[in-house]
Amino acid sequence: MFYVLPRFNYYRPNSLDEVLKLINELENYKILAGGTDLLIDMRIKRYTPRNIVDINRINELQYIREDNEYIRIGSLTRLQDIIESNIIREKLPLLYNAVYNMASWQIRNRATIGGNLCNASPAADTAPPLMVYNAKLVVSSINGSREISILDFFKGPRETDLRNNELLVEIKIPKPHIHGYSYRKIGRRNAFTLSIVAIATYVEIENNIFRDVRIALNSVAPKPVRAWSVEEYLKNKRIDREEIYKASELVVKDISPISDVRASADYRRKLSIILIRETLFEASKITG
Amino acid sequence: MSIEDPYELLSKWFEAKEYLVVGKSVTRSDSIEKAIGKARFLEDYYEPGRMLFVKQLLSTEPHAIIESIDYSDALKLTNIVGVFTAKNIPGINNVGYALPDQPLLAEGKVRYHGEPIALIASWDIDDAFKALEMIRVKYKRLTPIYDPLEAMERKDILIHDEQGSNIAFTTKVRKGDIERGFSESSTIVKNTYKTHHQEHAYLETEAALAIPDIQGRINIISCAQYPHLAQRIVSKVLGIPASNIRIITPYIGGAFGGKDDEGPLVAAKAALVAYLTGKPAFLIYSREESIRIHPKREATIIEYTSGVDDNGYLKAIKVKIIHDTGAYTNRGPYILWRATMHSSGPYYVPNAWVDGYCVYTNKVPQGSFRGFGNPSIQFAVESQMDELAKKLGIDPIELRLKNLLRPGMDTITGQKLDHSVGVADLVDKLARKMEWSKVRRELEDWNKRSNRYKRGLGIGVAWHGISTSRGVPDWSNAYIKIERDGSVNVYTGIVEIGQGTPTTSYRQIVAEALGAPLEYINVVFGTTDAPDTGATHASRGTSIGAIGVLVAAAKIRERLNRLASDILKTNPENIVIRNGRVFDKISNREIRWEELIQEAYNRGVEVSATGYFYLPKGKFDDKIGQGFAYPAYSFVAVAVLVEIDTWTGKVRVLKAWPGLAAGKIINPTQVEGQIEGAIAQGIGYVLYEKLEFGSKGEILNADLTDYVIPTIQDVTLDVEKPVYVEDKYKYGPFGAKGVGEMAFIPLPAAIANAVSHALNKRVTTLPLTPENVLKLIGGL
Repeated sequence: MFYVLPRFNYYRPNSLDEVLKLINELENYKILAGGTDLLIDMRIKRYTPRNIVDINRINELQYIREDNEYIRIGSLTRLQDIIESNIIREKLPLLYNAVYNMASWQIRNRATIGGNLCNASPAADTAPPLMVYNAKLVVSSINGSREISILDFFKGPRETDLRNNELLVEIKIPKPHIHGYSYRKIGRRNAFTLSIVAIATYVEIENNIFRDVRIALNSVAPKPVRAWSVEEYLKNKRIDREEIYKASELVVKDISPISDVRASADYRRKLSIILIRETLFEASKITG
Repeated sequence: MSIEDPYELLSKWFEAKEYLVVGKSVTRSDSIEKAIGKARFLEDYYEPGRMLFVKQLLSTEPHAIIESIDYSDALKLTNIVGVFTAKNIPGINNVGYALPDQPLLAEGKVRYHGEPIALIASWDIDDAFKALEMIRVKYKRLTPIYDPLEAMERKDILIHDEQGSNIAFTTKVRKGDIERGFSESSTIVKNTYKTHHQEHAYLETEAALAIPDIQGRINIISCAQYPHLAQRIVSKVLGIPASNIRIITPYIGGAFGGKDDEGPLVAAKAALVAYLTGKPAFLIYSREESIRIHPKREATIIEYTSGVDDNGYLKAIKVKIIHDTGAYTNRGPYILWRATMHSSGPYYVPNAWVDGYCVYTNKVPQGSFRGFGNPSIQFAVESQMDELAKKLGIDPIELRLKNLLRPGMDTITGQKLDHSVGVADLVDKLARKMEWSKVRRELEDWNKRSNRYKRGLGIGVAWHGISTSRGVPDWSNAYIKIERDGSVNVYTGIVEIGQGTPTTSYRQIVAEALGAPLEYINVVFGTTDAPDTGATHASRGTSIGAIGVLVAAAKIRERLNRLASDILKTNPENIVIRNGRVFDKISNREIRWEELIQEAYNRGVEVSATGYFYLPKGKFDDKIGQGFAYPAYSFVAVAVLVEIDTWTGKVRVLKAWPGLAAGKIINPTQVEGQIEGAIAQGIGYVLYEKLEFGSKGEILNADLTDYVIPTIQDVTLDVEKPVYVEDKYKYGPFGAKGVGEMAFIPLPAAIANAVSHALNKRVTTLPLTPENVLKLIGGL
């Protein structure tokens, strides 16, 4: 109560159509979903939007569904609903693990998956799992809908590919093949903390050979990134301890960490290598 | 006449062989209220719109002359009642505790980024924030200094011109002849240790509500740890008599020393606005303001040389202690003094040479924090002990047992400790109970098998002088009255800051001494309506602070014994009062407590009393660096088991074995609470917490997102039941010496020793963040 938010106009539309019309007209607005990032950012004056569009009444954007090809998550789905979903826990274990390690129960009950992505923090924790699952983001405007690969969605710190009149409505994840996986988040403590590095590792193995390797990290570049060099090096190689060691070192080509109050760039580089190694061991079920 | 002499009464109860409620884990009287959220804290008294909201303007320069402050635009806002600066202070602006170097509101100059400059009084919060943006301060920048070593050398840049030097205060100890001591030593270890600031991060930030009343007094609901000090400071700032200022204290959401320093200043700022406007004024610090403004645990540099002979006996120490006191000394000289006097650790050292320097820099001031200068110096001492043991090839416990102080020995200040010295027994008992040698051996085997993870076991042993340092007067007092129905009101200046002193041990002590049922005892705490009880700091709440409560209750008990003996026709010595039953142990004739009190009122026996007690002390000679330092010491030992991930550098504390020699334990549950809390806070300090300073000396992580304190998921260790040696102290209530700070003090030492053991590398710098651990093992 002893903090002050900058003044703004408040809109609370009742349907998706209304939202899309509104954001088509408004300049200088922010979408209010869970508000767990937005309100703090407004208080510290990172953002001073003239207009706030509260989408919390758009219940049609809250769902987790499965069809033959995709698992679909409405953008307004709360993080707590994601970890309580059997579909997510069974089919998308990396996403389950990432969200399980985010924030607290209270925050997860407010915060949404769409908000975490659109906030586009370099430390967004839902990004690495969705990036290794090659998720597609469905965005809508009054002119219709389009799909953006999550790999193209982030443009830089707090910048996305969204146009001013577009709203993220759905996260669409191709159902993965049988795969090995491993997730790690290193923060400055074990709970309620921003990542120093978080990493999602996905491997498809056939006859002891890496058929597919996908690795994504956050907090080590201006936006969440895939470790393309590591992936390319390992693809179609036999699972081998030495090769994994060699491959993990290559991650430094894919990342560009900075030093800040949370960690130094050197430590982030070091951790990235270690975590890639560790998660590859775990995902391919061999011991380090 | 009944006995009224406090020393006689204290000694009578000291001899008690059996206890009714003392020594038992009674439940605190505030637990239900707090569990269900009914307990009121300061903010709960704020009524928006009905009282002024006070907002502080803080310096954005580390070192600058204030050329002008222009708030004319701010005054045009509808809800702004006034903007007040140093020149509006009717009394004295200087509020320095140890030295007269600190203004309540910056005057002429600012000395740190975050220093309060002006107070904005507004009927409305929004306008207060708007006004804040409209005030223009014109600065003339001066060169800042952030490094204490540089500050010591520089004469051209003075943070306090009037001091003529950036060295604010020095201390020394000189004992024996260190040249001889070192020449007799066969093993010498020399190291430089560095420790860092710590933020208190209490749940409740600082606040005060000042309300002028119809009698021309100002009532202040305050968070200060010492109501009578807050009263004194407010009186000084306003220039009105202390008798016109009344301090009351609600429940406080944590303090740890931070509100000993800042609490009276918060009260003074709210009181200033109330006094100047005639309206109730409420001031609360936001989390960011709290971190930016209030003093922190000392950051230190300690150069330490110690020597032992072939038999493992300490022969000499030479120590240089540098405290970065920041922009103001605050209580820095007292903190340095305590560090200096404790620089031998609880060991017998025949030859000592210790120098201390309290140095100004343009950073947030240093202040009181659980342990008060002692955790950093015990970290250095105990690291030295482990290094000496390693060089000598003997077990660290064995080296300690050879050198620990025993009754009859003298300290490095030449003070003979004649009783209440249980530390050697304590360490021996703890080492046996936890099977120290066996655990150490097993770990070393475990480490041979483990590549990535390494484990270590370390101990920290420490001492802590109780009461204020040297001859500085310390006393206790309380006021007790028994109401006509037999219920009891106890008035004390001691506050409830989460530790539970007024709500447990005081009720126990009064119930024990009066014989009244525990539930009849009500404690009115934290008020200047009580006689000056001294502060709730220095682990003194249930020690020195409680003497007054015991003495007052004991006086009334003597009178009641005589009255009861008249009624029951027996001698006063035969009277037993137990849980509301009053009887003659010879005849078993009996009356009820309520009847006894009714008779007291009928027959003219006074059932109210104060419990003033003045603590006898000696003198310390600053010129020769020898003399009386503290009336007694509490002792503590904590062993910890750690595991280190050598890939990531992350340290986990898996287990802790605490032990205490703190005299009589009045309430074991309260003591365990203090120990567990201190261990959590110690783990936070050593493994997680670190202030980051920017190029203007500003705190970059002035919030709880980036100032990282541990959560319950980080403090998952097992804490064993404490080992107690009840080495009773003759002037403690029932022999109690004090506990609050104890378990924190050896924690940095214990964790650092355990990490050093695991990695076979000496830790000399804190904190042990994963990055620093990797650097230590050459992995970064």
